[in-house]
Amino acid sequence: MGMFRLEGQDRVHAGRLAVIWVILSVIGIVAALQIHYPPYDNSVQGADQSKTMALMTVLAVPIFIGVVLMLVYSAIFFRRRGLELVDGPPMLGNTPVQVAWIGISAVVVLFLAVVGITTLASSSAAQAVGAAGRAIGQSGETGSSTAGGQGPELQVQVVAQQWYFTYRYADYGGVETTHLYLPLNRPVELHVTSLDIIHSFWAYQLGVKADANPGVDNVFHVTPDKLGGFQVRCAELCGIWHGHMADSDGRVVSQSDFDAWIAQQQKDEADIQKALPSYAPYYFPEPLTKGS
Amino acid sequence: MVTAEHVSERRLSIPNNPITGVLLAIPAYFAGLWLGTLFGLNDDANTGIILGYTFATVAFLIGVGFLNYPLERLFGWRVSPISDPEENRGIGRFFRLSLDHKVIGMQYLVTILIMLLFGGIGAMLIRSSLLSPDSSITPPGQYIMLIGLHSVMMIFITSAVIVGPFGNYLVPLMIGARRMAFPRLEALSFWLVPPAAVILAAAAFWGGFPTGWTGYPPLSEQAGQGMDSYIVGFALIGLALIVSGINMLATIITLRAPGMTWTRLPIFVWGIFTTSILGMLAAPVLAVALVQLAMDRTVQTSFFLSANGGSNYLWQNLFWFFGHPEVYIFILPAFGIIMEIVPHFARKPLWGYRTGVVGLFGVALLSWFVWQHHLFVSGIAPVLRPFYMLSTELISIPTGIIFLVTLGTLWRARVWFTVPMLFCMGFLFNFLIGGISGVYLSDVPTDVTLHGSYFSMAHFHYTIMGGEIFALMAACYYWLPKMTGKMLSATIGRVHFWWMFIAFNSTFFPLFIAGILNMPRRVSSYDPALQGLNTWVTISAYFLFGSMILFAGNVIYSLFFSARPALANPWHARSLEWQLPTPVPAYNFERVPMIVGGPYDYGVPNARPVADLGGLVGVTGGG
Amino acid sequence: MLGRLAFVAGSVVAVIVATVALVGLFMLQRPGTLEGPSTSIHLETVAAVGAAIEWPRPNDPHLDWVSYLPTTILRVPANSTINVQIDQEDGATGLRNPFWGKVFGTDGGNMHVKYFDDKGNPQEGDMTSIDPTLAAHTFAVPDLGVFVPLLGISDNAPAGSANIITFSFKTKGPGVYRWQCFVPCAAGTVFGNGGPMQTLGYMAGELIVS
Repeated sequence: MGMFRLEGQDRVHAGRLAVIWVILSVIGIVAALQIHYPPYDNSVQGADQSKTMALMTVLAVPIFIGVVLMLVYSAIFFRRRGLELVDGPPMLGNTPVQVAWIGISAVVVLFLAVVGITTLASSSAAQAVGAAGRAIGQSGETGSSTAGGQGPELQVQVVAQQWYFTYRYADYGGVETTHLYLPLNRPVELHVTSLDIIHSFWAYQLGVKADANPGVDNVFHVTPDKLGGFQVRCAELCGIWHGHMADSDGRVVSQSDFDAWIAQQQKDEADIQKALPSYAPYYFPEPLTKGS
Repeated sequence: MVTAEHVSERRLSIPNNPITGVLLAIPAYFAGLWLGTLFGLNDDANTGIILGYTFATVAFLIGVGFLNYPLERLFGWRVSPISDPEENRGIGRFFRLSLDHKVIGMQYLVTILIMLLFGGIGAMLIRSSLLSPDSSITPPGQYIMLIGLHSVMMIFITSAVIVGPFGNYLVPLMIGARRMAFPRLEALSFWLVPPAAVILAAAAFWGGFPTGWTGYPPLSEQAGQGMDSYIVGFALIGLALIVSGINMLATIITLRAPGMTWTRLPIFVWGIFTTSILGMLAAPVLAVALVQLAMDRTVQTSFFLSANGGSNYLWQNLFWFFGHPEVYIFILPAFGIIMEIVPHFARKPLWGYRTGVVGLFGVALLSWFVWQHHLFVSGIAPVLRPFYMLSTELISIPTGIIFLVTLGTLWRARVWFTVPMLFCMGFLFNFLIGGISGVYLSDVPTDVTLHGSYFSMAHFHYTIMGGEIFALMAACYYWLPKMTGKMLSATIGRVHFWWMFIAFNSTFFPLFIAGILNMPRRVSSYDPALQGLNTWVTISAYFLFGSMILFAGNVIYSLFFSARPALANPWHARSLEWQLPTPVPAYNFERVPMIVGGPYDYGVPNARPVADLGGLVGVTGGG
Repeated sequence: MLGRLAFVAGSVVAVIVATVALVGLFMLQRPGTLEGPSTSIHLETVAAVGAAIEWPRPNDPHLDWVSYLPTTILRVPANSTINVQIDQEDGATGLRNPFWGKVFGTDGGNMHVKYFDDKGNPQEGDMTSIDPTLAAHTFAVPDLGVFVPLLGISDNAPAGSANIITFSFKTKGPGVYRWQCFVPCAAGTVFGNGGPMQTLGYMAGELIVS
């Protein structure tokens, strides 16, 4: 029944399909490479994501084109002619084709996984594989320098609450601000936490998204390498003002501008600064449970 | 009516129907409410509402008649004729408790299509609010309430929309059985759905719930009384999944006709089989999580409050341990439908049948090992992420097999492009996009940007709406002639397909772009730069809704106005269900048939007809 | 038969339109607004709607909810200075994030407060921040950078009295801006942020700039 060999007709169709597929795929891949993928390259980590997205699209294009081509080709060449109902050739399967298909998809998948894992394992990764990611009830586990030591990485805490993000700069006496300013080209260690429910800190242009959980210090690394503004949004449903929990006044500024800005913040907020709790990886405010 | 000779055969004298059920449910609700406030530890009435909903559901089921059989057996009364499809005829049987799997299938279909209308209206209201980039059309509180009601209603629907109507109706016909293994469980799985839908809708009375379908605490513990609807409604659907899973598995394993070997099983039955395994094993996890949430909300435990020693990660893990198999509960029966329908219209055997079955099982198995990809940015230990990234990407291998099998079946076929076949092609196109976009979300570096954005929202609408609902449409056009005895209009059907296909892609494809361009899910207010895109999507969504109305119109027109009775086998298909006369007789087969051939042996030289049906042969097709 | 078809089609469409209208009207409900845009806003905060002095709402479904009165849907003109007076009648709850004890974004960076000290003596003065534990509510329009903490009324203040807070701020272009309170004042809900904090007309509001 022709189960294990290609017949003449198979070769004709396969040959035609292969030629069209290669041509369309090349065009598709070239087109896909023209796109500059978000989140662009405003930070080292964002550039990684942008590159990964380009790679995925390059791999996806031939797969997409291949399957759609088969569907269209079948609709044109494998449709019934005339009114008579005719049975097709009784092909029950073809082991080499099946093995090849599964083999190729396995190779593509494993290649993607290897690329992904390599990106994760690299030293510039947003959340490196080996890093302790968060601490629940374990202070100091994340390697954050809470005492204001000038480490190589700028320590910034993102404090989420219903419905606003504020920021505390551990290296500057824990000063709290309403907008996020970051110096250019300096690695930043973001410590994302929440005072109430779950939020998600999404600085789109920087390629950062990290959930803010109460009692948890979620660490995320970012190195901005372009001057300019960025948007901050909440990406986890957090109640009535979730859609409004956004701020478009984030800024990446030069080191000198940053120093001037943070000094101004410290001066302006001297009065409230005294009332703030000392800087900690996370805060455990009373949850005020039901009925209390 | 009680005469001397009937005294020993006493029966419950209340009429069993949904109206009795509702009449019993209302006082039961208030009894639960009263009891809850008696013992409740907080003044929000949450305890009372949860007890009220539970009592009301039990009372409704008693009113419908689920207590009769146990009582009759317990006291030795005569068993009501409800258990006998032969005696239970007429249009009224669709409105009562019935143990006939064909009636239950129809009940499921109509109920779920009505729910789909309400879920769709919710979607239209959501899209209408997004015409404005600030929340000036719908106030933000009502917006997140709409999000919650739309999402959970749709989850209820999609959990059951194929297994319920088509699984219940067709599995016995396809395996040559005269009934289901556990008809009462089957009926229960249906009669839990209307209370779940009503309880969910009741959330609107309490101001809805703000969490979407994921119900993440602590937000869900902060939420008002609408959240109790989510808990009880979802638990009822979970229960329906469990009982229907057990029933399907028992039926498929034990009631196959002689000669219906595992390799002759129609592939749709394999789709139901794998789905049932997932439903039976995943839903208990959901039930556990819901009970914990209910206890946190009522008796002040703190499973999910980190300040008191709990962890909100516990919910996220339990929920997604259920939730990821759940999305395969949606799609596996759809795979089954596509692989079932394509060979009949390609007029070729299913290409690589065994590989296809392996693909279904591969998806079902891997679905248990991927749930933490929903937590990639949540602050889980980073060392876990490579594993979940790999396991998630591995799912594309068995999913690819489904494409291989269908494309192989189309290869050099003589495709008869009927309306169901068009929907199968549409499914393959949409699910391809849905599947490829899923790979973007499975990879941690890209997921950082795409997680929780409109990209993931577009992704799962491509798989569920573009996948499962397109498969549902294929199934309706393909099997409704057998189920109703009327052909659906093919002309309207073609218009419906193209309209729906174009409107669907025009609605959801731009949302991938919105997601990549910084639009988070579930927001009532978004970047004004994206208003043009959103307006386009909203207008397309209205067209998409219009296509569903056209479908409803086609069903109503074809069933009640066009006198076009369906032949017993209008598609000249080989499989067993089409060999039966239309309408299918009570108990399906006069005697259990002897299966002698495969369902897809088109063009196979000397292929035998699929079964020896005894005296009850309909039209044999193919071969 | 055509008539029957038209009847069924008509009734299906009618049912759908009616459902959409009903659900839609329910979904579009907003609490009432004050008439016309105004550059001066006068509000009252109360611990419970039922205890309102200036603007009673006897038919309110949540008489025990904390609230701003008379409404939280405010209409103001664009690009102008808005003068706000808030009669603060509710006691202190304390801020979850003490940072919001500072005044941000008002003209002059401060507010004028007539209040009662902890002995119940009337006091008056300009302030740029308050003790975070003494905050009862805040008036915050985050998108305009306006955050004003409202001092809770002292336990020893005469019955029926209020702290009077006045300040002014500038609006930007037209749009719907949210305003909210940052004090977890919704007693009995987890983190104090449920119920009235998430319901328009109570502790959540919209500043409609036109």
